[in-house]
Amino acid sequence: MSLRAGLGIGIAIAGTAGAAIWAELIMVPEDTGNVVHVTYWEKWTAFERDAMKAVVDKYNATQGKQKHIFVDFMPVSGIEDKTIVAISGEMPPDIAGLSTLSLAAFADNDAIVPLDDYCRQYRIKESDYVPIYWRQMVYGGHVFALPTTPDSNSLHYNRTEFRAAGLDPDKPPQTFEEMDAMSEKLTKKDSQGRYIQFGFIPSDPGWWNWGWGYFFGGELWNGSDKITCNSPENVQGFEWVAGYSHRYGPSQINSFKSGFVFASPTNGFISGKEAMQLQGVWMYNFISKFNSKLDWAAAPMPHPANRPDLADMTFADSDNVVIPVGAKHPKEAFDFIAFLQRQENMELLCMGQRKQSPLAKVSEAFLKNHPNPFIRLFTDLPKGRNGKTPPMLGIVNEYMADLNEAFDEVTLLRKTPKEALDDVQARVQEKLDHYRWIMKLRKGSRR
Amino acid sequence: MTRAEREERDGYLFVSPWMAGFLLFILYPLLASLYYAFCDYSVLRRPIWTGLDNFTTLFHDKVFWTSLYNTAYFAVFFLPASLVLSLALAMLLNAKVRGQAIYRTIFYLPSLLPLVATAVLFLWVFDGDNGVVNNLLKLGGFQGPGWLSDPAWTKFTIILLSLWGVGNTMIIYLASLQEVPESLYEAAELDGARAWERLKAVTLPMISPVILFNTLMGIIGALQVFTVPFVMFPGGQPADSTYFYTAYLYDNAFKYHNMGYACAMGWVMFLIILVLTLISRQLSEKHVYYGGG
Amino acid sequence: MAQSHVRKRAAKVAATHLTMILLSIVFLIPLFWLVTTAIKPLPETVAQPPVWWPKHPQWDNFTKAFVYDSDRLGYIPFLYYTRNTLLLCWLNVMGTVLSNALAAYAFARLKWRGREIFFLVTLATMMVPFPVLMVPLYGIFREIGWVGTLRPLWVPAFFGSAFNIFLLRQFFRTIPFELSEAATIDGAGEWQIFASLIVPLAKPALGVVALFTFLGTWTDFLGPLIYLIQQKTFTLSLGLQFYQSQNGGSEWNLLMAATTIVVLPVVVLFFFTQRLLIQGITLTGLKG
Repeated sequence: MSLRAGLGIGIAIAGTAGAAIWAELIMVPEDTGNVVHVTYWEKWTAFERDAMKAVVDKYNATQGKQKHIFVDFMPVSGIEDKTIVAISGEMPPDIAGLSTLSLAAFADNDAIVPLDDYCRQYRIKESDYVPIYWRQMVYGGHVFALPTTPDSNSLHYNRTEFRAAGLDPDKPPQTFEEMDAMSEKLTKKDSQGRYIQFGFIPSDPGWWNWGWGYFFGGELWNGSDKITCNSPENVQGFEWVAGYSHRYGPSQINSFKSGFVFASPTNGFISGKEAMQLQGVWMYNFISKFNSKLDWAAAPMPHPANRPDLADMTFADSDNVVIPVGAKHPKEAFDFIAFLQRQENMELLCMGQRKQSPLAKVSEAFLKNHPNPFIRLFTDLPKGRNGKTPPMLGIVNEYMADLNEAFDEVTLLRKTPKEALDDVQARVQEKLDHYRWIMKLRKGSRR
Repeated sequence: MTRAEREERDGYLFVSPWMAGFLLFILYPLLASLYYAFCDYSVLRRPIWTGLDNFTTLFHDKVFWTSLYNTAYFAVFFLPASLVLSLALAMLLNAKVRGQAIYRTIFYLPSLLPLVATAVLFLWVFDGDNGVVNNLLKLGGFQGPGWLSDPAWTKFTIILLSLWGVGNTMIIYLASLQEVPESLYEAAELDGARAWERLKAVTLPMISPVILFNTLMGIIGALQVFTVPFVMFPGGQPADSTYFYTAYLYDNAFKYHNMGYACAMGWVMFLIILVLTLISRQLSEKHVYYGGG
Repeated sequence: MAQSHVRKRAAKVAATHLTMILLSIVFLIPLFWLVTTAIKPLPETVAQPPVWWPKHPQWDNFTKAFVYDSDRLGYIPFLYYTRNTLLLCWLNVMGTVLSNALAAYAFARLKWRGREIFFLVTLATMMVPFPVLMVPLYGIFREIGWVGTLRPLWVPAFFGSAFNIFLLRQFFRTIPFELSEAATIDGAGEWQIFASLIVPLAKPALGVVALFTFLGTWTDFLGPLIYLIQQKTFTLSLGLQFYQSQNGGSEWNLLMAATTIVVLPVVVLFFFTQRLLIQGITLTGLKG
């Protein structure tokens, strides 16, 4: 072998070995001395992350400093999947920020730790919270999570457009029948017959496609073993949605809203092209950022004329924090979680994220200083009897995916509401039966 | 030790890393996957034998069929289109003109983009009202379709943008074209063969093994289409029209915690590929010309 | 006669150029959009009607993309992603070239029992789609505690793969056997023949394998998606997703600026190696 070739091979081997060692070193945790480092993964970006970062910083500077705990706050994209992978890989974070939709499945898979004992120790109890949010933290009789920031939604409407259409800007629609009539008046075409403004588009933003049946008195399940998504009320909800496609044409609606990007000036509501929209508590924030001159208001969603008992409906769910199974420092992690649940810290977070507080007790200063002029509405609606949340089901993500698909079929007029929901019913009921059977099987066999 | 024995020993030694790799990273996972396909297996628990349950569920799972249909649709249209387009590009790039290095780089460039970026980029390019494509069509007086919002078009959109990235197939064709002896073309030209006839009589037969190779690799690749739709249409919207097989498999494994079900899906895919490969081999038997090699 | 031939040839060249220029434009439009978006201010990225060229190009988007979020994270993610990707590329290239050259040598130039059968099996493994193996592989790596490390993304490369073995075997068979014979008579063992005779002669083919491996690792998404947990260990293809927020407020311009920075070196690399790449594939004689 020539010297040159030998040298080349030598360099290649050394380089490869060096790279391998380097790749290993990336994984070595830094020495942290006598301070316990708690890793906390969150899904948020931008100002929402900054709001939590402020609480974390506060903790690290005060209580954490005394107790020698330091919280490493890390943004993670695709957090649900990543957390599952991390748990199964036995290197989970100590705290993960999840959502209502994932709680049941995580609990069913023994992926998260029950927090009952910790709650008792720190005197955290049900009555501290608005009931609807607390319910989303409990599964199978155990507390599995504690809230971070909740949201709720309501009808946002453009007062300028109301005036222009000859409507009273102080009288938002009370019933769906009124809403349809107003919507008709608020919809405009140009000289070539192309839509330039819409009163309302059920599929924009399309984040609560599963919920339309609730407005008409439907429920998505019976709370234990029966899926009820094709009940007459739910079908009625989708029929109401389909009405918009029938009236204005699915392709016309789609091409109208195709250029809209949610967090931008082209957002349909913010740009004034949609006079009414179902939106969450965060909407204020985007309006003030992208079109602060917009004259708008928020009001409860309407109800069917013959069902006044369904007034003040809202979908309210709360993001949460959990402690994954296998977390290295669960005790220290909960110390931070408990710190977060204190009223002043929770309000710091919720104010920073421009949302309402999940706590039963809210300071007057919070409501007064909150930049969202309708914060009281968003705070109070979930406390009423018509606050709704997605089902706490292990298969809720599949269920939601199916409902979204059905919603698409219905708005595109490819299936009737009854057909679409019958399909979902059959499929998801079977899924649920199967899931329950599997759960029983799993109980019979040890982990 | 005789020479033959030594050679035998060295043969095993040389092949041993791959032998280990085959056993460890292919054969074992393949068999394990077959076993899991008959089990309930969540990420965090031991598998529990459930017999044929996954398969019976699979066969009347509507979304499974939808994703299979979507994938087949993609493969059926993408594969021929990509084979023809990449061959055409390769033939252009094989022409003796100046500046080929630049053209080659341009046509290959899309294959170098991280797929996440490609996906996001095409969200703009194909946007219904605002997109580059529809604005160009408007200049020509056409009203473009809802590339991203109309279920009748979404798969076509993904096919188009996948065609944008045919670089690797193109390069392999190009390499094989350079191997076709110039003398064959000259002879054909002397016989008065026109361009089309030369293509049929010389080029295609000469590169037929490569066409077969690209077809087989294309089938396998097309059936696994994942990243671009996964990033562009995270839930397979609208109306599940962009929910592809691998994405549904991934969701089952890592989102819905049904790894056993995902394995059953994987095996169904494997069997489909097996059958398709055998069929294409059979069909190609007569048409593929293996020179001396 | 001769003149008309020349004219015909010139017309053909012109037609070829024209076709290729037109096609190039089609191929470049999305890339044009990529680059112009990279220098737009955020509102212009989604403006209606679309902005083709920003009024005030924001060149500092590139620096912003580079240090994106580094103040919040305490490190520059872009550098980490790049480092991780390059490490993986290097390890994969080295591992792939070495392991596959060894295996291909055994298949092409050594006689051992079971060789033909195992070669057929090797070819057959090309038909196994990754999704079938995904779950059990994940299980294996989890059992040995490798999930969350970079190992699952490079260690397998040191164990070979069918496509590359096939490619290299084809090439190794074209090297005259008399050369090995002569070396054997001079007393060289197989290792020596492999290292000092075959490998130097096979450089073009090994180069192709190396380049394909590099590009495959460079764009791999599913692997990092499954195995990597901490942001610090992410590769570029996965890390770029970080610029894209799930709940509104994506900084598209920065995503595109980052993509531009990422892609540029690879484009240059390809430009200078494409001739070698094509020659390499030609030499391997990719045939059944």
